[in-house]
Formats: sequence, structure tokens, C-alpha cells
Amino acid sequence: MFNSPRKPRREKEGQMPRKKRTCRFCDAKEHYIDYKDEKKLQRFITEQGKIIPKRITGTCAKHQRQLVSAIKRARHLALLPFVSDAIR
Amino acid sequence: MDKHKRYESTVIINASLDDPQVEAIITRISETITKNGGSITALDKWGRKRLAYPINKKTNGYYVNYEFTAPSALIATLERSYQLDEMILRYLTILLDAKAIAAKAAAPVVVPAAEEPVVPAREPLFKESDDAGK
Repeated sequence: MFNSPRKPRREKEGQMPRKKRTCRFCDAKEHYIDYKDEKKLQRFITEQGKIIPKRITGTCAKHQRQLVSAIKRARHLALLPFVSDAIR
Repeated sequence: MDKHKRYESTVIINASLDDPQVEAIITRISETITKNGGSITALDKWGRKRLAYPINKKTNGYYVNYEFTAPSALIATLERSYQLDEMILRYLTILLDAKAIAAKAAAPVVVPAAEEPVVPAREPLFKESDDAGK
């Protein structure tokens, strides 16, 4: 089997920092991710405004899908940027 | 048979208008909803906020959020009225599903709006392991 980067590794990680395995939203029992709450959504985008993949944040697939559509709606409403300049 | 569904509509109005003019637009939208068979359950004015990117070369916008129940035929007319109004910059109307309704009933969503005009700098998730639970 190919060593998929999505599987959590038990041996040494390499340069990727180890993140929590459990999904934040599942732990908090939040079933609806609000697109209006940009403060919460900002934790899931990079400084450049890109959406962070779930293997980094530890979010589960279902919540990642909801999160992504919430972020895209927030981008449409100019609550989050599409692209922002990374701080140099 | 027209079944009433729950919707949520967020509108960005031109911020350079005076307050009475903005109020006039807000009430006009409310009337459009109520006259066509809808009923507004919540009206939330966020006030002037800084936009994350310029829209029509403007950097600020006045955000208003409506929650209402309406027959589905209303949505087309509502969005058409948004399109025709030059002072409305952006709009987003969504149908609230069961999860959304349950979340709203459980805890009212309070979005702090007009206090912070700038998008605050946030910690990069790559650089530090941010596990201080949320």
C-alpha cells in the first residue's frame, strides 16, 4: 500500500508539525458552521487566505466540507479575503 | 400550496450613504419581504465594516442580516430587487437547513461587527502548533 500522507503517522513526522487527531467541531458538538463568524473561520485559512487542508488542522471530512463552503460564502461577502498578502 | 421556508439574507449596502438613507434601504427591503407573504424573524444590523477586498472600489460596507420565513417564490423577486438597487453592493441569500435552524435555536449567534474595522492579524497555524482548544 502506498504510504498516504493523510494517515496519521506513528513514526517521526518530518517537518510537518503534529496536530490534534480529533476534529474540533466534533469535540464541541457543533453541527453547523456559520459563515458569518469570521473570527472562527480565520483559524482555518493561511496568512495568504488559502484554506488549510484537513490533514493539518485535524478536522474530519464532514466538517471540512461545511467549513469550506462557509469560508467560500464568507469570501463572497468580503468577510474573508480571497487572496491576502503574506506578512514578509 | 406555498410552504414557508426559513431563509437568511445578508446584504452589503454602500457605506458612504448617510444613516437615514441606509435606514430607508433597510426598511424598503423589509417591506419587500413582508408585502410578498414573508415574515421577518430577525433583523441584525452589523453596521459599517471594512471589507476584506474592495468591491466596486469601495473599502467599507454596511452589513445587514435578515432572517425570515417566506414562500419560495419571494426569493426571486427579492434578489431581483437587490440587483436593481445600485446602493446594494453584495447579497447572499441562503436556505436554512435543519442543522442551521437547530444551531440558531440553541444559541443566538452574536456577531461582533462594527467595533473592529480591520481584519486582525492572526497566528499562522503552520509555524506554531495551535492546540489551545477552541
